[in-house]
Amino acid sequence: MAFDYGKYLRLDKMPTLWCWGCGDGVILKAVVRAIDKMGWDQNDVCVVSGIGCSGRFSSYLDFNTVHTTHGRTVAYATGIKLANPDKHVICVAGDGDALAIGGNHTIHGCRRNIDIHMIVINNFIYGLTNSQTSPTTPKGMWTVSQKAGNIDPTFDACKLAESAGASFVARESVIDPKKLERSLVKGFSHKGFSFMEVLSNCHINLGRKNKMASAVENLDWIDSITMGKMKFDKLEEQDKTNFLPTGVLKEDKDADEYCEMYQKIKDVHQGKRAKITQDEFEKKI
Amino acid sequence: MSLLKAPQNKPVWIDITRCKACDICVSSCPAGVLSMRQDPTSTIGAIIDIVAPDSCIGCNDCELHCPDFAIFVADKKADGIKFAKLTPEAEERAEAIRNNNYRLPLNYGK
Amino acid sequence: MVNKEKALIKTREIISTGNELAAIAAVDAGCHFFGGYPLTPSSEIMHTLSDLLPEVGGVAIQMEDEIASVCSVIGASMSGKRAMTATSGPGLSLKAENLGLAQMAEVPLVCIDVMRGGPSTGLPTRVAQGDVSQAQHPSHGDYKSITICAGNLAECYTQTARAFNLADRFMQPVFVLLDETLGHMHGRAVIPTEEETKSEIKLRKQFDGKPEEYFPYGVAQNEPAILNTMFKGYRFHFTGLHHDKYGFPTEDMDTCRLLIERLFNKVEAHEDELELYEAYKLEDADIMIIAYGSVSLAVKEAIRVLRKENIKVGLFRPITIWPSPAEKIKEYTDKIPKVLCVELNMGQYLNEVQRVSSRLDIDGLFKVNGRAISPYEIVEKVKEI
Repeated sequence: MAFDYGKYLRLDKMPTLWCWGCGDGVILKAVVRAIDKMGWDQNDVCVVSGIGCSGRFSSYLDFNTVHTTHGRTVAYATGIKLANPDKHVICVAGDGDALAIGGNHTIHGCRRNIDIHMIVINNFIYGLTNSQTSPTTPKGMWTVSQKAGNIDPTFDACKLAESAGASFVARESVIDPKKLERSLVKGFSHKGFSFMEVLSNCHINLGRKNKMASAVENLDWIDSITMGKMKFDKLEEQDKTNFLPTGVLKEDKDADEYCEMYQKIKDVHQGKRAKITQDEFEKKI
Repeated sequence: MSLLKAPQNKPVWIDITRCKACDICVSSCPAGVLSMRQDPTSTIGAIIDIVAPDSCIGCNDCELHCPDFAIFVADKKADGIKFAKLTPEAEERAEAIRNNNYRLPLNYGK
Repeated sequence: MVNKEKALIKTREIISTGNELAAIAAVDAGCHFFGGYPLTPSSEIMHTLSDLLPEVGGVAIQMEDEIASVCSVIGASMSGKRAMTATSGPGLSLKAENLGLAQMAEVPLVCIDVMRGGPSTGLPTRVAQGDVSQAQHPSHGDYKSITICAGNLAECYTQTARAFNLADRFMQPVFVLLDETLGHMHGRAVIPTEEETKSEIKLRKQFDGKPEEYFPYGVAQNEPAILNTMFKGYRFHFTGLHHDKYGFPTEDMDTCRLLIERLFNKVEAHEDELELYEAYKLEDADIMIIAYGSVSLAVKEAIRVLRKENIKVGLFRPITIWPSPAEKIKEYTDKIPKVLCVELNMGQYLNEVQRVSSRLDIDGLFKVNGRAISPYEIVEKVKEI
């Protein structure tokens, strides 16, 4: 018997509105399989998505789903999680949603290390609104807002998440759905902010004018710019520029998680313990 | 599409209403089981076709790579399907399909 | 008029500030979640709640900006908890987009706006009433705002508590306007006891039938959505897009039209539940002053002085300012010859009074330099007209 996707999907909404070959569908499948492996009750899961093609993610899933404004998934999720700390909250946002307009909220979700699982679907472009430059669009590529060629530099979202304080950071791509599913399971099992960047193909918007107009060509390009972490670490510094390492990049199981820390505040105000002081923390600044 | 038992003990089967002809499953199949075929009634003019089901090795790559829940692979244990081993002929066919724009060349193997 | 069964409500005396009273009201009214950001002059609400809410098992969090604070509040409210945020003029401007989502998805929340001098950074520590128009329409699109304005210290408590019930009843954001004067005014207030406030709590409607038969937005055209608490077995979709009865995005022409009409009808059909005002000495008045908020305190003193000189002046004080008590205002403007609007803005409510009265001769006394208006300025103006 094949995997029972029907249990987790709102089947009457299929087929999806995504373009033919869009990586979003592959990620949707991997998320469903990962949640099944976690054994979570459907009623205990909330999926919060942003605006963009990836924003439609939540409407296909049969959980408690929320489709928010552009860039604010982590802020909404923070409210939902703090009000219901024992439930599972997953954020799904695109590269523009999470890193441009939502950059601030992403940073602070990482900083608080609140137990939310954030999946950033990075297709290197603004897809739904048709090909505008995003913070991860490679330099020199054609975008509709920079037809002369993109001059905007990119930044490494995973490095940003790591320095902001996320205790689990991973990067995968739709090239290897099995590996993606494994990393998702690790992220979902992690207590703390799990930041998972998933590289995806948008051949319709990014690819079409950048010499990768088909799904397979775009996927081949993603394959050419990614490299497993172990192999990547062995490269010389100058060779690393044009590769993105995939795999689990950071996993800190001991970092303080925000909901647990907030429970301490509740305990202080309810007279169950003394005030929190600097001495309780190793990192004092 | 809730419970999916392999229909009539097939190793791989498709939901034709969902296929968007993206070529990804065909490109990912190592055994040349799949091919696109022309279909004037579909939106993009093509649709998925299972051309060599007996060569299916049950690797699950097509199912996992399909963005649209359009292709499914049986479960070895639950459905009692015996999958094939990967043969050089199957690999050759897969290569031919890939090189022919993901379509099985006409009169292949004849 | 103001409190229908005033005599029967058990009360207590508290000496505090408007901001603190609003915070206490939130806790008493069952608020579970507060998301805020420091903004003068509303920060004290956050400070107080950061102590009071964890004590009762709730959560008060200072988010990274104004937008995040309203988003976290909407999220908590979507999950079924009573939630509140507090801000001032600039913060309300920032929150606008997400307040629009709360209107569209019909998510209840209370947003306290302690008004200060504007526009822009304006006068952070000084008083104004410049957010009246903004509260009527903070975000783009069509919807009906529910806005309450507290006129004295006790109302900082009672109206905040009332706002929670109204938010749950109408399933949308409710704005409670204070101003810097009231927010920071330290004095004596006679307010209902905690038990009284708790006994008045009316939580949002829930559907208790089979999940397959649950249509969150499939309600009558004059009723708000019925949004079940999350994680209890009723799984549905929230979105800011136009949606059908299941909550899923749609562009169907009739569904979209009916949705917007319902967002209006759900309020307009029940304005009697929202109307609240104070009519002070209007029975024999030749001059009616319309004022709200802390200005009404100065107006009452001005009326005392004027009446001593036999000038028959009265006050109409709307407490629910949006939707405006239009019929009542018209009733008075039809019979009282002179009408004067006293506001700490450039006539934002005067526009509404003109609209509902169809009179073009409404006088205005506006003060926009960040200072409170004194009773004598009002006395002078009344004598002028």
